[in-house]
Amino acid sequence: MRRLLALLLLLQASALTPIHAKERLVEVIITDPFIEMHSGPGRGYPVVFVVGRDDTVTILFSHTEWYKVRAAGGQEGWVRRNDLARTVLPSGDPAPIPPYPVFSSHRWEIGAGYGVFNHQNLVTSWADFGLTESLDVEFVVQQALGTIDDRYITTIGLRHTFVPEWKWFSPTAGVGTGFQYIDNKSPPQPLERSNQMAYVSLGARGFITRRFMWRADWRKYDVFTNQNQTQEPEEWKLGLAVFF
Amino acid sequence: METRLGSVLLTALLLSGCGWFHRGDKASNQVVVDEPEGEPVIVDPQVKRREVRVPKIKAKDFEVGAYFGALSIQDFGVNPVYGVRAAYHVSEDLFVEGYVARSKGGTTSLEDEFPEVTVVSNAGRYFTYYDLDLGYNVLPGEIFLGRGRAFNSQLYVTVGMGDVKFAEQDHFALNFGVGERIVITDWLALHLDVRDHIFETDLTGRTKNVDNIEATLGLTTFF
Repeated sequence: MRRLLALLLLLQASALTPIHAKERLVEVIITDPFIEMHSGPGRGYPVVFVVGRDDTVTILFSHTEWYKVRAAGGQEGWVRRNDLARTVLPSGDPAPIPPYPVFSSHRWEIGAGYGVFNHQNLVTSWADFGLTESLDVEFVVQQALGTIDDRYITTIGLRHTFVPEWKWFSPTAGVGTGFQYIDNKSPPQPLERSNQMAYVSLGARGFITRRFMWRADWRKYDVFTNQNQTQEPEEWKLGLAVFF
Repeated sequence: METRLGSVLLTALLLSGCGWFHRGDKASNQVVVDEPEGEPVIVDPQVKRREVRVPKIKAKDFEVGAYFGALSIQDFGVNPVYGVRAAYHVSEDLFVEGYVARSKGGTTSLEDEFPEVTVVSNAGRYFTYYDLDLGYNVLPGEIFLGRGRAFNSQLYVTVGMGDVKFAEQDHFALNFGVGERIVITDWLALHLDVRDHIFETDLTGRTKNVDNIEATLGLTTFF
């Protein structure tokens, strides 16, 4: 009981102390006639304070496109990114508000989606790193859930985007290699439980809004087996990704 | 070799010449120290430009935490469930989230009635799932606690898919949920969630879609 009380007190104390008092924070000067501070990080939250031109605010942290700031008088509130982007540092330089990532030249992409692998339901997720605007390294982890077996598939490959400046729709093509691990739902177990694979892919991608994009992909795999037969499963998938 | 030596000497000469010519221009900024003997020595002001480092603004777009609650496994009773969650907030409206959780099913009414019947082995009663979800903050607002305290909150809906492992088999599962996030401090939030995990199974004889509804309470932290 005493421990619980101590923990509660500790929680309470940490909630009451101003956030990271030691930490160095960015101070900016307002250049607009005024900026509005909202009570929460959203368009609907009411305006609780207004800071005028030439006044200073301290930026505490950001959450999505909103920044929590503290006015000179100690009042705290949330300011929209676009409002804060027009402020300046005491040195006169523009405030260090990072711009929105540009879709055509984004670096990172993380996504997930649904697909069909050889008539099996497929849950897919991927991470993508852009080497150039049109060439990406893609790393995929996915699980195919069927009635006979379940497969875990992981691949690494290169993907080319043909016209990266086409925002809404741009075709892609890729090649790569990977592994699959098969787990049969009922006996007998497969002769080989894991195989190396190679694939070719065709697909498309496009911008949706702000930080979201869609991606569709068709893949043809070649499974390397020790048996006297070739396996060439096909895969379709559609997913959503966030880009950075 | 001779040419190189020559060019080095020439450069040195040129540089000292420049210094000589320059002396007149900057005279007002320079300090002339009078020494008692010999020629006056000119001291260059060696003022280093101060480097101003602007600290980085911390982004708190990630949210991780744990939850527990009750999961109703269809035909297998209501059982405690424990899980972890991680989310990334993309905009004020949208977030993506992943969950991993585990529960253990009880006995079916058939097993209760006839103890000699076993539908699922003991090890197969574990209900483990993962989900990848897209969430939308539909109703953002504030919750008031008494006169002096207000907490920001968001009612959100989620939709996603994942895998449910039950009866030692993996099932492709869809999930739909609704939840409330109450932001207690800048770094701590309380979650109340209701989610349904739907998948197809033939465990109790015929193939059917089963609904596994859970109600959970969770704590998350932003970083």
